[in-house]
Amino acid sequence: MAVIRDVMPAFELFQPATVDETLGLLERYGADAWIMAGGLDSFDWLKDRIKRPAVVVDLSQMMDLRGVRDVGGGLEIGALTTLTDLVRHPAVQQRFGLLAQAAELVASPQIRHQGTIGGNVSQDTRCWYYRSGWSCYRAGGNICYADSPTAVNREHAILGASRCVAVSPSDTAPALIALGAEFVLRSRGGERVVAAEDYFVGPDINITQMTVRRPDELLTTIRVPDRFAGAQFYFEKIRDRQVWDFPLVNVASAMTLSGETIQEIRLAVGAVAARPLRLTAVELAVAGKTRNEQTAAMAGELAVDGAVPLRHNSYKILLMQNLVKRAIRGGPMQGEGG
Amino acid sequence: MAEHKYIGQNYTTPDLVAKVTGRAKYAEDFRAEGMLFTKLLLSPMPHARVIRIDTSAAQAMPGVKAILTVDDMPEPADSVDDAGRVIRANTRAERALTNEPLYEGEPILAVAAVDEFTAAEAIEKIQIEFEPLPFAVDPLVSLRPGGPTARTDGNVWFRPPTPPAQPGQPPPPQPPIDVKDLKWTEEQFAEAEAGRLPMGEVLADQWEYGDLDAGFTQAALVLDETYVTSNTSNQPMETRTAMAYWQNGKVYVHCSTQSTVQTVAGISRWLGVPQTDVVVISEYTGGGFGSKITSAISLVIPALLSKKANAPVMMRITREEEQYIGRARPSLHARIKAGFSKDGRLLALDFFGLSESGPYEGGNDHNATGRIVSLLYQPVAMRFRGMGVMTNTPPRGPQRSPGGAQGVAVMEPVMSIAADRLGIDQVAIRRINAPEGKAPFNGPNPQGVRPHVTSAFVKEALDKGKALFRWEARKARGGTRVGSKAYGLGVAVAAYSGGSVGFDGLFVIKPDGKVYIQSGIGNLGTESVSDVHRVVAEVLDVPWEKCEITWGSTSKHLPWTCVSGGSQTAHAMTRAAYATAMDARTKLQEIAARTLGGSPASYRVAGERVAGPGGSLTLAQAAQKAIELGGKYDGHEAPETVNVFTKRSVAALAGQGLLAVARDVYPRDGVTHSYTIGFAEVEVDVETGHYRVLDYLAVADVGTVLHPRSLGGQLLGGSLQGIGHAMGQKWVYDQQYGVPLAKRFYQTRPATILDAPVHMEWAAVDIADPETPVGVRGVGEPPVGAGWAAVANAVADAVGHDVFRRFPVTGDMILTSLANGRRVTDPLTANI
Amino acid sequence: MDFLTWGINPWRQPVLTHISWDLFWASLFAGVMFLVAHASYMILAAHRKRSAEETDAMEAVYKDLPDQIERHTFMARIFHWVMAAAMFVLLLTAFLPIGGIRFAWVEWHWMAGLVLAGSIIYHLVHATVFLDFWSIWVGPSDVPELRAEVLRALGREVPGPKPGKYPLGNRLYHTASVVVALTAIVTGILMMNRIRTPLFSRNPYLFSDATWGITYLLHGAAGVALVGLVIAHVYFALRPEKWWITKGMLLGWITRRAYLQHHDPERWRLRGGKARPAAQP
Repeated sequence: MAVIRDVMPAFELFQPATVDETLGLLERYGADAWIMAGGLDSFDWLKDRIKRPAVVVDLSQMMDLRGVRDVGGGLEIGALTTLTDLVRHPAVQQRFGLLAQAAELVASPQIRHQGTIGGNVSQDTRCWYYRSGWSCYRAGGNICYADSPTAVNREHAILGASRCVAVSPSDTAPALIALGAEFVLRSRGGERVVAAEDYFVGPDINITQMTVRRPDELLTTIRVPDRFAGAQFYFEKIRDRQVWDFPLVNVASAMTLSGETIQEIRLAVGAVAARPLRLTAVELAVAGKTRNEQTAAMAGELAVDGAVPLRHNSYKILLMQNLVKRAIRGGPMQGEGG
Repeated sequence: MAEHKYIGQNYTTPDLVAKVTGRAKYAEDFRAEGMLFTKLLLSPMPHARVIRIDTSAAQAMPGVKAILTVDDMPEPADSVDDAGRVIRANTRAERALTNEPLYEGEPILAVAAVDEFTAAEAIEKIQIEFEPLPFAVDPLVSLRPGGPTARTDGNVWFRPPTPPAQPGQPPPPQPPIDVKDLKWTEEQFAEAEAGRLPMGEVLADQWEYGDLDAGFTQAALVLDETYVTSNTSNQPMETRTAMAYWQNGKVYVHCSTQSTVQTVAGISRWLGVPQTDVVVISEYTGGGFGSKITSAISLVIPALLSKKANAPVMMRITREEEQYIGRARPSLHARIKAGFSKDGRLLALDFFGLSESGPYEGGNDHNATGRIVSLLYQPVAMRFRGMGVMTNTPPRGPQRSPGGAQGVAVMEPVMSIAADRLGIDQVAIRRINAPEGKAPFNGPNPQGVRPHVTSAFVKEALDKGKALFRWEARKARGGTRVGSKAYGLGVAVAAYSGGSVGFDGLFVIKPDGKVYIQSGIGNLGTESVSDVHRVVAEVLDVPWEKCEITWGSTSKHLPWTCVSGGSQTAHAMTRAAYATAMDARTKLQEIAARTLGGSPASYRVAGERVAGPGGSLTLAQAAQKAIELGGKYDGHEAPETVNVFTKRSVAALAGQGLLAVARDVYPRDGVTHSYTIGFAEVEVDVETGHYRVLDYLAVADVGTVLHPRSLGGQLLGGSLQGIGHAMGQKWVYDQQYGVPLAKRFYQTRPATILDAPVHMEWAAVDIADPETPVGVRGVGEPPVGAGWAAVANAVADAVGHDVFRRFPVTGDMILTSLANGRRVTDPLTANI
Repeated sequence: MDFLTWGINPWRQPVLTHISWDLFWASLFAGVMFLVAHASYMILAAHRKRSAEETDAMEAVYKDLPDQIERHTFMARIFHWVMAAAMFVLLLTAFLPIGGIRFAWVEWHWMAGLVLAGSIIYHLVHATVFLDFWSIWVGPSDVPELRAEVLRALGREVPGPKPGKYPLGNRLYHTASVVVALTAIVTGILMMNRIRTPLFSRNPYLFSDATWGITYLLHGAAGVALVGLVIAHVYFALRPEKWWITKGMLLGWITRRAYLQHHDPERWRLRGGKARPAAQP
């Protein structure tokens, strides 16, 4: 059978208007159903005819999962809230600026108008070998093309690689982890709530999925607690182009200080592993320490402990180290000279 | 022309409203009764032979109308040049479809069906088997002893010598281009281990002038540097979509092309039909950057399918298909040995360059590289050696400053290193070596004479830019660091060909008093389609509002026009427009003299009148008179000098008014070139390696400014394209399977508008070129190299020269180089 | 049911990726069915042992033998249990994720594989140098025993050869395990080139797609076969009438009576003269 790309194949399209309707469809079609939110990840797969779902469940008509609600100091974000709406929401801007910053650095303005927060955290990896439709581990095969003696893997993983070296492309995920968010998954069988960092899964455990969402489940809501509202935030995304580009590394942190002493911190890094990594070892190490260059340097070194570079991505170790440093320090190195 | 009413003034171009309102129709927007759609089956392998095709299941599908393979295609045909010499066809030439694909993504066959969905489904039903063949996606790999070759019979093109003419016989045609398997030795490759480009045998492209050895002996500083640039796809906004149908024996092709008139010849040759049976319709083109100079050979697919299916066929090319068939700038592997005197003069330059030229002809950019480098830095002695090496990657073609941009990109950092080593200001070293006046370039011709340019005001441009950019004031910040931020300043000079000669202009002044200008120029986004005709309004002193421009279809009686490529148009067609306007003036004067008495010379054309001793005529009246007079006045006679294409148009338009037609026969001493100087300031974050361009200025030496707004668009747009080459744009290929990994924009990373420098300005010296009547030169190309190299030089100024030796200069290179105290990026491997 | 799983390579050529995991379920099912069938048979059918009188007579002849006959040396037992542990880790890490129980299995799997490979190398050396190497293998001389065993299994009273140190079923099992486990180990070690381990620099292109396909197929087939073999092994080890063998593997010795009851002293000669009785019956 010859292969053709860039023409969408036929599928049965459902555009449910309510969560219940959607869950019914997911229960009925299970793994045969493809959930589409903003479509930015989906259309690539569908147009390339690589993923061939029998059924596409388009969530664009589901208005009840759009929007941000202020809930007792925290937020309840409907999974279908567009990134633009998220960025513009006053509560997000004022109290959870970390999330606003992260969301605003996603892709391009057009993509942010269409892309949703649920889609952004649930999107598939952008490994260009995997995206080419080849039978790699992640596609159910038994080979990683990205980690071979000749592979071009500048954008791949330095941590948590297990056979597959793909990375998480999400910018909002590290921010949500740093904010201690919870993800609400609903199915016909009920509801379960997972911590942001537990929503993601690495290839060691599930090599074909990026998240723990089951086929019959729908990510409906993201809850951001008030714990870090108005805390010291740091977000930085490094990418090759200033727009429409996935992160090479991104970092998100939320910190509470007492004077110059770090009281509590949550820190997450994206695009270095298949899942956004919460750096608990660093969090523990810096808690109670004075926020200064020394602590930052220690944190940076600790963060990349165990990192293994591929042929073309040793820079990611330096980059991650420096970004973690900045997250602790609160910004780029200042001052004269250097 | 001292005081200009129109030349050098901004105006609203006649296509603007349609473009911004979406009314403009591009190739894809046309529909025809019963139109079918076609989709392509592309090769999954970099090099293979099709050993079996079974289309029966596809053909059995309802809605599938025809399937086209290379067996339905005409053989590559010989052509005849203007002098009547036969040019033998390359039997290995690209034919749009193939049974021996030479790159992943090469079209194998096309299916026409009632819609694209059906065509795609049909393609999936086709059983096709390939036999994989050896392949190369790296030119150096192909040159290694025992290395694979892109074609079964070799990896480099060469032209066998023409056999001597037999006595009494006409000279035999040049033999067709052939292929050779060229390998270098292990000893030569030993240098590659140290990251230096090996310099083995090259076949034909070499020249030399001056005493190179003496130059190096005298030099106070000798540098030996290797640089590798990236392959970059043209990827214009509009893909090379085409729709075709046949009517009364003529083929009508709606296509995306940079040139309207000149596209006819290509289609005629590709399809094997006479030029008079080809109609090209292209009202709007979404760019080409050199990849659609005469549209694209892929348009024969809908044309031939249309014949086979007996229905119009639309072929919409997707973004990914465009990546395959849409042409790209070849990478350049360059080794540069340069000797400088202690005051910065380039005494000796030994330039060695390999183009990665893809599997077909085209992409031998290195020749232009030699030419441009020799022009820009005026080396006292120079040797140039270059070669195109074939790889199993998409076909290359011209891309905005082909060869020139790469030459500037690899040479400019060498100039920067020299300036720093010699303690000379960066602007100063370029000024010291800058071309001036009738500056020579290239190697000597067979008569031993080096050609020269028409003019060069590079020094003036450098001075102007230095002042506008406040170079001296800013210089102090270059190389300094504040926290994690390092600042750097860069300047780069760039040049490219700037115009051709000998084309025709044609317009009619009708009895309604309006001037109806026929424009054979493609509407590719540069605005030259209307800009050049401002000359007519200027010369005749007619309000621009009374000039109507007709363009976009060769059925509309257009004059013989240059291709819109190589920055020719503004120069060539202002000359033609000027010649035609002068023809109109002469005819108006003659009509006035014949009608009102007196000598023609005593009549003046101005203010929509021709006036003199006997009184005056309005243009409307003169047009009416022209019809009455007939003959040459209303186009019933055409001058012998104009092209046959123009003559046909003249005949068709005859009798409608005063018909002005002329060929540009103005003398020109030298070859026209244009220049752009780029100035850039960058801020490099040494903690991330990433950088941004804070400020950019392009200063043009492009002769008289014709249309400031479109000149600015060209300068800044071209510069940004170059900045993209500096910062991120590239191809990535998997070496194991020889297939591309970076296919989408987000992967190939051309610059976006948000990568544009925070401040971006342009200026022009606005000095007329002395060898053309209106003083205008072309501008499209030189800005690319200027933007590219100015940014690279600024990065080097900020963090040191020892950070990059390949392009694009990405943050990872900077970060790892700074951390390791040396470059760690793979120096020579292509397409990583 | 598919037997093989195919993928496509970057050239869009079909490549064999592994056996269909349906085969795992099939093997599991077959193993369990065998177990049920055998157990039913054992419950329903008569089963023959050497008669007590016969054994008593032999006890008299072989009264010089110690009460505890060493069956497995300490090192042999260590080998067996290490191997068994490795095998369980291998099978569980391989098949639990396929069964839907997700955990980070890869490191455990290849490390257990290395342990298994190491223990087998040890066993080879040990068996060659210290043990009666040939006692475990099956050959043409075993045909009468095979015949007798089959007939006995069918409930017939048959005189004839008794097993040497290892009963025929035991030896047949060993042979099958050797073939299957070696296949799994050799292919497994090759497959380690495809993942990141300290052993090899990762190179998925070491072999052609077709060779890799066969390697994965063999590994998968061996793994699936091991599921069945291990089920059978565990089943027999736990059967009451085989318990004396299992105990031997745990403690290292069997009773003299068990020795005489189940073995032919001529075919399993005990060392150090202890096994040779002075008198002939």
